[in-house]
Amino acid sequence: MTHDAPACERDTAQPDTAPDMTAPDMATQGLSLAYGSVAVIEDLDLQLPAGQVTAIVGPNGCGKSTLLAGLSRLLKPRGGTVLLNGTDIRHQPTRQLAKRLALLPQQPHAPEALTVAELVRFGRHPHQSWLRQWSPEDKRIVDEALDMTGLTPLAQRPVDALSGGQRQRAWIAMAIAQQTATLLLDEPTSALDLGHQVEVYELIQSLAASGKTIVMVIHDLVSACRYADHLIAMHQGHVIAEGLPGETVTPELVRRLYGVECSLITDPVTGAPLLTNIRRTRDALDGSAT
Amino acid sequence: MTSPADTPNAVRQDKYYLALPLGQRAPLRVIVDKRNLLANLLLLGLLILLAGVSLNIGSAASLSLPATLRALLGDGSPLDTFVIQELRLPRVIAGIVTGGAFALAGCLMQTVARNRLATPGIVGLDNGATAFAVASVVGTGISLAPPAMALTGAAVAAALTFGLTGRIGVRGYRFLVAGIGVGAVFGALTQLMLTRVSIDAANAAYPWTVGSLNARPDHAVLSLSLALPPALLAGIWLTRSLTVLRLSDAVAISLGIAAGRCRMAALSVAVILTGLAVAVAGPVGMVALIGPEFARQLSAKNTVPVVGATLAGAVVMVAADLLGRMLLAPIEIPVGIVTALIGSPLLLWILLNPNARTAP
Repeated sequence: MTHDAPACERDTAQPDTAPDMTAPDMATQGLSLAYGSVAVIEDLDLQLPAGQVTAIVGPNGCGKSTLLAGLSRLLKPRGGTVLLNGTDIRHQPTRQLAKRLALLPQQPHAPEALTVAELVRFGRHPHQSWLRQWSPEDKRIVDEALDMTGLTPLAQRPVDALSGGQRQRAWIAMAIAQQTATLLLDEPTSALDLGHQVEVYELIQSLAASGKTIVMVIHDLVSACRYADHLIAMHQGHVIAEGLPGETVTPELVRRLYGVECSLITDPVTGAPLLTNIRRTRDALDGSAT
Repeated sequence: MTSPADTPNAVRQDKYYLALPLGQRAPLRVIVDKRNLLANLLLLGLLILLAGVSLNIGSAASLSLPATLRALLGDGSPLDTFVIQELRLPRVIAGIVTGGAFALAGCLMQTVARNRLATPGIVGLDNGATAFAVASVVGTGISLAPPAMALTGAAVAAALTFGLTGRIGVRGYRFLVAGIGVGAVFGALTQLMLTRVSIDAANAAYPWTVGSLNARPDHAVLSLSLALPPALLAGIWLTRSLTVLRLSDAVAISLGIAAGRCRMAALSVAVILTGLAVAVAGPVGMVALIGPEFARQLSAKNTVPVVGATLAGAVVMVAADLLGRMLLAPIEIPVGIVTALIGSPLLLWILLNPNARTAP
């Protein structure tokens, strides 16, 4: 089932506020991404499962953030395509795409004195136009997004006066108000302490449970195993393993990704793999590891 | 699920008007920020007051208010009518349109570059326009700076700056530094031209090098007056996108804004306004710094005060011109020097105050 809305949908009198909640599939075909002359990702074919949380993991510089930039049209592909519901995202007007696909960049910065409600309101931008800057529907959706993220009591507080976890929840609330079926997150928990990390991960899980497709880049392999349904491991621009976290993560994979030895045990509570006895490999000690 | 009554208003009734809701199902709904509306009305009132004072006071005669009004309507004595309609009114109009144009250009450029210092004057557009205007004056002996020449100069300077940096980029530092360099080159070219020509030609070009409302060519005022209203409308149209673009490029693109196109549009409007304004009054670049800052202080936080900046620029220009005419009367201080005297401390304050260095 495709959701290719006609172009005339844009400014019709009837607001098209019905959320596009049919989980879409996102995929790449022969995707090549580069910064200037430096190729980061070449000829990548990838399927991102609909309605699930996908975590992209890998060492620093493996191309995971670049991939996210490519998926979210921030970076124009050198070759290949990014498909959303089978359509090349480059063939959709950016405003139409913004109703289907949201991106939360890494540690976004809110201007001084911008309130939570004002930030969340920005999420309605692709649904509005100059002549229809606000509607009761917008208000309902913004209030819902504040409610879902538990920020209703903080709605009139400046974003820069919030704790790290609250601030990240405010940004996620903006993405919720955007009402896209797909949400891309770049390291949503970097710079957060454990409590705030859990706060954000549980919110992400509840969004997936409500039918959204989530793709997040994260550093922490253990959290990826704990909170993701699907794991993609990247190394030097290539996907070297993907699948269910429990089946994908092996001591061999951890060695290839990070150059460390470890043992794996199963978390007795959640069933997710846990890394233990982590130490550097002899290669790394010799300085010959890549 | 909480009822709407329990949840806070995402658009607070006490901060905004919802203008023109034509019925329940009508799509026409425009958010008007109460504070910005108040600020704009205040600035408009101030502008009318200053324009009135400017018409009243002068070296020829200080007229009474009724006499001024009669002269304005063509009903007064022939002398009064001449002084008001032929001498003072064109000067006040020139001040309003140049001030508005410089400040609107400044507001747009500061916003797209995310840097308060990225005004047309500082990134070299004024100098580019001036160099071309002076070239036409000293080169041909006509004491007119064709707006087209100044416009070309501003566009060349912008293209050079843009070409050197590739993009305005995050916080605009590279854009700023390249622009200062381009501006310095054009400034040097202007000086070189002035030293190589006869003293008469250099004198004819003098107003364009300091900034003055004295030598305003009529056709230049007309071109700018015709360009300003559509430019202001374009600015108002771009405000929604610019407000989101203030956050970051990534967020703006994710919210469906064609960031590159929006930025080019804002920059183009700024270049056109700066070129045409320099053709009238010379490089009064400091207005592009003072006007938007003045408007920002009055306006609601986290808005892009496009209309406010335009009005504030006009206020600053008319006030500076009035001051320049009154302070050492009958000697006139060029408006460019007055704005530089006010603007330089502001520039230093922005450079030294860490809070003011944040993006506009």
